Amino acid sequence: MSYLSISRVTKQFGDTVVVDDFNLDVEKGEFVSFLGPSGCGKTTTLRMVAGFEIPTSGKILLDGADITDKAPNQRNVGMIFQSYALFPNMTVAQNIGFGLRVRKEPENMVKQRVEEMVSLINLEKHANKYPYQLSGGQQQRVSLARALAIHPQVLLLDEPLSALDAKIRISLRAEIRAIQKKLGITAIFVTHDQEEALSISDRIVVMNTGVMEQVGTPFEIYNFPKTRFVANFVGSLNTADAEVVDPAKGLVSMDGVQFESAEGTEGRKKGDKVKIAIRPERLSFASEQKKANVVDATIENITFLGSVVRIQVKIGNTKFNMDTFNNPFLELPGLGSKEQVTCSKEAVLVLDE
Amino acid sequence: MSIFARIRRIPFWSWFWFILGALYFLLPLYATVNFSLRMERDVIGFKAYVRAFEDPEFLETFLYSNFLALMTIVASIILIVPTAYWIRLRLPEARRIVEFITLLPFVVPAIILVFGLIRIYSSPFKIPLTDITILQPLTTFEVGTDILIVAGYMVLGLPYMYRSVDTGMRTVDVRTLTEAAQSLGASWFTIITRVILPNIRAALLSGALLTFAIVVGEVTLASFLGVPAFGPYLFLLGQHRAYEPAALSFASFLLTWAAMGLIQLFTGDQQVSGAH
Amino acid sequence: MAQTALNPKAPTPALDWKKWIGVTPFFLFAILFLVLPSMRLIVGSFTNSDGQFTFANIFQLFQEQAILDAYWLSIRISAATAIGGGIFGFLLAYSVTVGGLPKPLRSALITFSGVASNFAGVPLAFAFIATLGRTGFVTALIKNLFGVNLYQQTDFDLYSFWGLSLTYMYFQFPLMVLIMAPALDGLKREWREAAENLGASTGQYWLRVAFPVLLPSILGSMILLFGNAFGAYATAYALTGGRLGIITIQIGAQIRGDVLHNPGLGYAMAMGMVVVMTISLIGYSWLQKKSERWLR
Repeated sequence: MSYLSISRVTKQFGDTVVVDDFNLDVEKGEFVSFLGPSGCGKTTTLRMVAGFEIPTSGKILLDGADITDKAPNQRNVGMIFQSYALFPNMTVAQNIGFGLRVRKEPENMVKQRVEEMVSLINLEKHANKYPYQLSGGQQQRVSLARALAIHPQVLLLDEPLSALDAKIRISLRAEIRAIQKKLGITAIFVTHDQEEALSISDRIVVMNTGVMEQVGTPFEIYNFPKTRFVANFVGSLNTADAEVVDPAKGLVSMDGVQFESAEGTEGRKKGDKVKIAIRPERLSFASEQKKANVVDATIENITFLGSVVRIQVKIGNTKFNMDTFNNPFLELPGLGSKEQVTCSKEAVLVLDE
Repeated sequence: MSIFARIRRIPFWSWFWFILGALYFLLPLYATVNFSLRMERDVIGFKAYVRAFEDPEFLETFLYSNFLALMTIVASIILIVPTAYWIRLRLPEARRIVEFITLLPFVVPAIILVFGLIRIYSSPFKIPLTDITILQPLTTFEVGTDILIVAGYMVLGLPYMYRSVDTGMRTVDVRTLTEAAQSLGASWFTIITRVILPNIRAALLSGALLTFAIVVGEVTLASFLGVPAFGPYLFLLGQHRAYEPAALSFASFLLTWAAMGLIQLFTGDQQVSGAH
Repeated sequence: MAQTALNPKAPTPALDWKKWIGVTPFFLFAILFLVLPSMRLIVGSFTNSDGQFTFANIFQLFQEQAILDAYWLSIRISAATAIGGGIFGFLLAYSVTVGGLPKPLRSALITFSGVASNFAGVPLAFAFIATLGRTGFVTALIKNLFGVNLYQQTDFDLYSFWGLSLTYMYFQFPLMVLIMAPALDGLKREWREAAENLGASTGQYWLRVAFPVLLPSILGSMILLFGNAFGAYATAYALTGGRLGIITIQIGAQIRGDVLHNPGLGYAMAMGMVVVMTISLIGYSWLQKKSERWLR
């Protein structure tokens, strides 16, 4: 039996189905991200775990107990909001101690726990400041400490980094992950930022229009997207219309250019319309020893992105992006020149039309 | 949510307070209308209204008050719009002092203001240290009194007009608008008449209507400065008549209502309030 | 060049003062019609009948029982209507914002409050005479329903402390509604959710979070209401015809004719009002600043 179990949960607002048949088992100490565009139902699902929304049908079990209809203040789950939601009339220490004080814990115990939490987030110097005197990153750390102070069974994070600057976002993300690992706490993290989800999670749930598209480790989600939505939403992707040529050999044809794919053609017939998808970093210039999938390409454009150089090539009638690592000695072909590019069989994903 | 929680969600106390508030609002209005319709014994009719509106003095004073309101609004806009614009554009360091001045009318109520105005402007203006008079006392001639009372009304409306205009300018970001227009080669005249004014139209209108609501029934300044305005007329009418004043009170309530309703229409849910 | 080096603070003065020309008309207006009249009263307060400087007027202010009574009555009425109107206005604003009433009631209340908070002076006085006067509608209603004649069987009198307070309430609590509705909107939904999430009951949320956050705003608004009532003249004059000796009516009498037989004392009385109003405005802006910091 898993620690947190969300089973067959559906949520409707009026006639709109916001979350449709959501099933997920989360192990103790696991860090799971809900990833998807806005309006995909990820926040609603999180809010059902917190108790701010009640599922239309389905069950939520936490450590064996049914919490589906429990009031939020009876649940013992910690929640972190995008807008920090710190109480403006209380200092950092008072904010952190709030949950314990409303539980009528003895004052010396509250003080001790607050001190512990303040040092966990390294804000000892700011314990007596008010939220408006802190930066966004500091405020969100206080919010984390406040949620952890009550020893929650699950930590829920609702886009906690979205309101922060890019640099702080990355450092706080690492800090959240480190604290979560150190305390061994179960966490659910909602985000629309795929890089965030990939870097922080044990597992990712990709959601779209209320439906779970795929559940898997970051590695699986990125390298083996099961649906076209996942492939498109996570990472960047070249896609093109193609036609199955030989299902047994995994051959597909795009405007007469043939690609060989390691998987995805099973169960398809010759002549089926499909989409092929290749990640930009999987394409490269063909070297001396010719392997599979060597195709002719014309160099259309070259964009310098820092650590990566993005080369736009035209294969057949379709434009593809090709990423290559930057180095000072990189020799780039001229615009308009004809080159051969290649990719491995495994890099060619065949998806439904 | 349990069924108990749902039942508790029916906001009994909210309804209670709301209905109490509605009664407080409506009862005096109802009483006024009710009373104003009973001028003739045992008949419900508009006689009081007909009588009140037929009085030539009513029309005279009411028109005069409207004239004062119009003058006040025009003068306020001419004074405040360039000031607020200039501060946003060139002189942000003057913001604090100007905002401080626009708050002063809260500290100096109408009765005190008129006290000071009368004491200053009922004596002739002389060049300092000489006996040469450059201006007769304003209170001694009609135009002078009009100038004085319009200035007084401008002071009373200053906090509202300034805040309204300044908020309007902030929301449309006049500075960027001006710079954009300048970069496109617009002249100052074009910028102000075709870029700035149309964009703060709603703010100007709500400031103007608020000023109108303050001025049209104003009594304190008008009666101490002795001008034949609607406020003092209504007051005197109340001394020796019963039904006509009630009719006019309700009419002026409707007038205030119209002004506030229009403001609501132009600015949405924003705060509207005047001084007493 | 050398001079600039020696005095690095010297700016470009030509440019600097030209900028201020743009606001000259405004300052001129403010000086002529706001500052000068106020200064006249202040100077007058410290001048005796021979035109010499004196503190005598100020001292006398605190010795004339009639003047002290007038101030005290004004303060009592203003405080009563500020607290009463403040509490009632807050509850009303609460009911239409977070209190769970349907949305249309909110805009109806806000519009009505805009009208009522501007509905003062003579028409308001007449409306209350028609309501609670001797032959008023509600007076008659109470008589018919409960058999109680307000004017014969109770102490009630529209032209007294309570009557004037009830009348002032008509513009006081709507003003509170107008100020508090945005403040209540400023309470973030996340605060409530965070509190609940941390185990707090609704009561604990209101006691420990919502109410403390709103408190500066509530107190500040009540101070504003106090000033609003304290400076009111027309309503009281139209209602009581000068019979109820609040401070503004005393000042009015002093303007009409020197009833105190000492112009300096009249000025001092006016200045006393300005002092009270200034103190309340300072209190209001201090609390407002505190509240904005929290409710941003």
